Amino acid sequence: MEIYLPIAEQSINVLVLLGLGGAAGLLAGMFGVGGGFLATPLLIFAGIPPTVAVASQANQVIANSVSSLQVQWRRGLVDLRMGLVLLLGGMLGSSAGVSLFTYLKRIGQIDFVIAVLYVVMLSTIGGLMMVESLRTYLQRRRHPEAPRGKLHQHYLVHRLPFKLRFYKSKLYISALLPIGLGFAIGILSAVLGVGGGFVLVPAMIYLLGMPTTVVIGTSNFQILFVAANVTFLQAVTNGTVDVVLALLLILGGVVGAPIGARLAAKLPGVVLRGLMAVLILAVAAELLVELLRTPGSVYSLGSREVLP
Amino acid sequence: MRPAAFLLVVGLAVAGPASAQAPFPEAPGAALPAPGLGGPTDAGAPPSVPVTPPAPPDLVVDLSLARVSITSAFQGENILLFGMFDPPGEVVVVVVGPPARETVLRKERFLGLWLTTGRQAFDDVPAYYAIAASQPLQRLLARGAGGEILSLEDRMASVRSVGQRESEDMTRFRLGLIEVKRHQGLYPAAIGQVTVQASRLFRVDLPFPSRLPEGVYDVRTYLLREGQIVAAVSRPLPVSKVGFSARLANWANREGELYGVGAIFMALLFGWFGGAVLRRI
Repeated sequence: MEIYLPIAEQSINVLVLLGLGGAAGLLAGMFGVGGGFLATPLLIFAGIPPTVAVASQANQVIANSVSSLQVQWRRGLVDLRMGLVLLLGGMLGSSAGVSLFTYLKRIGQIDFVIAVLYVVMLSTIGGLMMVESLRTYLQRRRHPEAPRGKLHQHYLVHRLPFKLRFYKSKLYISALLPIGLGFAIGILSAVLGVGGGFVLVPAMIYLLGMPTTVVIGTSNFQILFVAANVTFLQAVTNGTVDVVLALLLILGGVVGAPIGARLAAKLPGVVLRGLMAVLILAVAAELLVELLRTPGSVYSLGSREVLP
Repeated sequence: MRPAAFLLVVGLAVAGPASAQAPFPEAPGAALPAPGLGGPTDAGAPPSVPVTPPAPPDLVVDLSLARVSITSAFQGENILLFGMFDPPGEVVVVVVGPPARETVLRKERFLGLWLTTGRQAFDDVPAYYAIAASQPLQRLLARGAGGEILSLEDRMASVRSVGQRESEDMTRFRLGLIEVKRHQGLYPAAIGQVTVQASRLFRVDLPFPSRLPEGVYDVRTYLLREGQIVAAVSRPLPVSKVGFSARLANWANREGELYGVGAIFMALLFGWFGGAVLRRI
């Protein structure tokens, strides 16, 4: 069953898109992070132009994060103050990111940059997850009752100025830190179409030292608004947001997320993380092969301009 | 909605039988000849009361579809062009999409990675170009009609480049442009011969891929005798998005701000209710 995507200007199988959305939702349900970082490369493999894939994926991220946020907000798992400070950086970063995206698109390098950034990002995350889950697995086998480490340590970064008190996170740190973090995630979000939860969540835990209970909710809060900002700016400046594409991904994701959550409850976390790491590394490898392989044609076309 | 309505009017006018026989004497490159005005001799008179008794036309052409409508279910289209001619003669069909500026990007290996390193823009590149004939084309064109009827290679050789470049390299970009367009199905290499039956009926299939630029395409049919064009018929073929996908694309183009806000609310709505409903199941 094919459907014509009005902005991507091509037809694609509906089931492929629903399946992709479902797989992303499955991951979201299993790991509590959006599956955007896998869905975008898969969309590109399916033949969607990278620029449309990224912008429409940002649109999908909104649905993903609002869906999780409505529960986390009710349970009081959002540090609003931290969220707003992160968001300040996120808005600046995502706006700068869309400008960067527009510039790269104009000089014809955006597809390359998207692919390279995905390879770097996915292989880093996949590699780290793989190492971590293997280590945990081996440790558990040796010492089933391994002691837990300190929740957070004090680094140099805690000496920065503009300190703010974050009551819910029980932190007294410089506002520059979350602003900078938000800025970096915002750029990532704009250029790659991801929410950035998979980078933001570990950074909030290990870099800011936030308690894990409020991390997911707070990151979802910031991601929701940053994704909305990216969607808006992409629609206005590049016209690459395909709502039909986004809607199909969202519908798939809505079905996939609860299934993922149920699966996660059944499988041990170490196994889950190991599987996820394998999946991420496989996608990174495929993207890298695409970059290294001699293309079928060294020529391609940029955007077509109808002159008056 | 206004452009769509305009195209519809053009489409309807073209669908009338009178216009199908309107001959046009002009060279290619002239935009659409005004359809539906009968022959050149009686432009002012009503078509139903011809001043001179009409000579039976040498060439009659029709299309199986008057327009290409890109709907939500669009997967490309095959249009049958068919007609009748007065023998003897050979038939040549040329379909040209609307011109635009195209930028060709070239990748090169850089530190092992394939990276875009060169770019070259060309003006007046037809969105679509297909040519077919009832005889091997090269043989027909070699006999003198080549001035007006251009093979793809000849047509592309006349495409203007933007800026300067060493000529050998420019040729490579030109060939690259053809290669990509061909790969996209927009310059179908062999749409097959025009088949002739009973030495006066002819037909040919025109393939249009799913990634089809919008605009008014020009479908021209020529009748050749002894290498000379003795009759020609031009039919505009509008290609446009219609219905839901047209409205969405239009909206996204003209009111990006509103479209962006709409996209955000769509996602919020489906995310919120989708999540709420499915958590209960």
